[in-house]
Amino acid sequence: MNTQTTTSGSGTSAASDAFDQLKETVGDVTVTDPKMCARNVDVFYGDNQAIYDVSLDIGNNEVIAMIGPSGCGKSTFLRCLNRMNDSIPSCRVSGDMSLDGEDLYSTSLDPVLLRARVGMVFQKPNPFAKSIYDNVAYGPRIHGLASNRAELDDIVISSLQKAGLHEEVHDRLDAPGTSLSGGQQQRLCIARTIAVSPEVILMDEPCSALDPIATARIEELIDELRQNYAIAIVTHSMQQAARVSQRTAYFHLGKLVEVGSTNNIFTNPQHELTENYITGRFG
Amino acid sequence: MDKLHLDQHISQQFNHELEDIRNRVLAMGGLVEQQVDKGLTALLESDGDLGQSVATADFEVNAMEVEIDEECIQILARRQPAASDLRLIVTVIKVITDLERIGDEAEKMGRFAVELAEANAATSYRKELRRLGDLVKSMLRDALDAFARLDVDAAIKTAARDEDINAEYQTLQRLLATHLMEDPRQVSQLLKITWCARALERIGDHSVNICEYVVYLVKGRDIRHINFDQVQSEFLSKPN
Repeated sequence: MNTQTTTSGSGTSAASDAFDQLKETVGDVTVTDPKMCARNVDVFYGDNQAIYDVSLDIGNNEVIAMIGPSGCGKSTFLRCLNRMNDSIPSCRVSGDMSLDGEDLYSTSLDPVLLRARVGMVFQKPNPFAKSIYDNVAYGPRIHGLASNRAELDDIVISSLQKAGLHEEVHDRLDAPGTSLSGGQQQRLCIARTIAVSPEVILMDEPCSALDPIATARIEELIDELRQNYAIAIVTHSMQQAARVSQRTAYFHLGKLVEVGSTNNIFTNPQHELTENYITGRFG
Repeated sequence: MDKLHLDQHISQQFNHELEDIRNRVLAMGGLVEQQVDKGLTALLESDGDLGQSVATADFEVNAMEVEIDEECIQILARRQPAASDLRLIVTVIKVITDLERIGDEAEKMGRFAVELAEANAATSYRKELRRLGDLVKSMLRDALDAFARLDVDAAIKTAARDEDINAEYQTLQRLLATHLMEDPRQVSQLLKITWCARALERIGDHSVNICEYVVYLVKGRDIRHINFDQVQSEFLSKPN
């Protein structure tokens, strides 16, 4: 990711002034019931700084949408939340990030276990080249969540049910996951994520490869999942952010410009850059 | 965000659409203002023809409301506006509803002007409407001006003038009641004048609504049904 990337048009001088003057995020970055907390997070890729001093809470039982132009750091921030960036050698993260008060970047924390607690769904559905059953059973198997086949069956079925896919695939669990449609594959990936009983689900543009009907199903599912999980979703679709989230965070060139209730962000944003972005103005 | 920057969308077409809607509302406001002015003149000058022309022209106001409404619906459906753009569309939909009702009140005055002119009655009593009429006309003009200039200060100060209008309306009602008692033969004519006074007072109320929408549009806050002192202290800019 390149921090210099701007796709937000030619930029008015007023808007760039507003960005230069941005010292701190507009709006309350905290929530009363936080699941994850990030404080003063900076992220670098080599010499390039991708994220500047971002602080943000992710609350229990809420969906927080992260929006912003390409290269604004929203995906980078999301990936820091389950240490996906560990695999990029040049990536360096500073600041504090915690899950239920536990330091995410502590040396004693096993990133594999962390990723079971903080699951992730990606832009393109990426089922394993295995059967539908084995796709969902994969995580529980490696984490030893089931002691026998019956327990594993229960986990697989309930995960498929929660992901709203069971009815469509219950008679062909042995079929390859890749034989499903795009929307079904994405729900399979969500089932796979749920199967290891995560506490947080991160979604990086989960619907960008899906048609409107599949998208509506996923969005409905996100709303249902909110009852049990904390969810953070990165999306380029402002309408999607408006539809699924309770809070919205707007990133711009690596800074968190504004965060607030989705209702307020979409009717009366306080920062000029947020306004420009969500209304499609030059900024 | 005190200014709407309607010309700064990446989509030029969207800029044009929003600008067009705003211009149409201003044109509708101009027409409605004219209707009120003519309706009042017809009453005061006992001009039945002018009254009739006001009543007839109300369809133009109605047609504009329908057209602008349609345009707003198209924008909602096709553009899914957000933030200030959304507030603009919502404000427009509300403003034109009030403008259309003001148009109806003007039409009412026009019709009463025709009836009163035909009866050639209560000529002197009709003059009593002048002061109320002047207050209402200037309030409507300033409300539309505040909308055109997105001027929150002007909107709040204009809305405050509704108290003067209500006071004048009360005075006028007492006066007309006295005339009624003194001159019972004129009951039916005096009642018509009372209805005209009522129409003017209602135009004042609709103008207040327009002022409130201006505050919503610019500040994003709904100030309807909020204590007026609170609104003034929160939104009126402080003198330097």
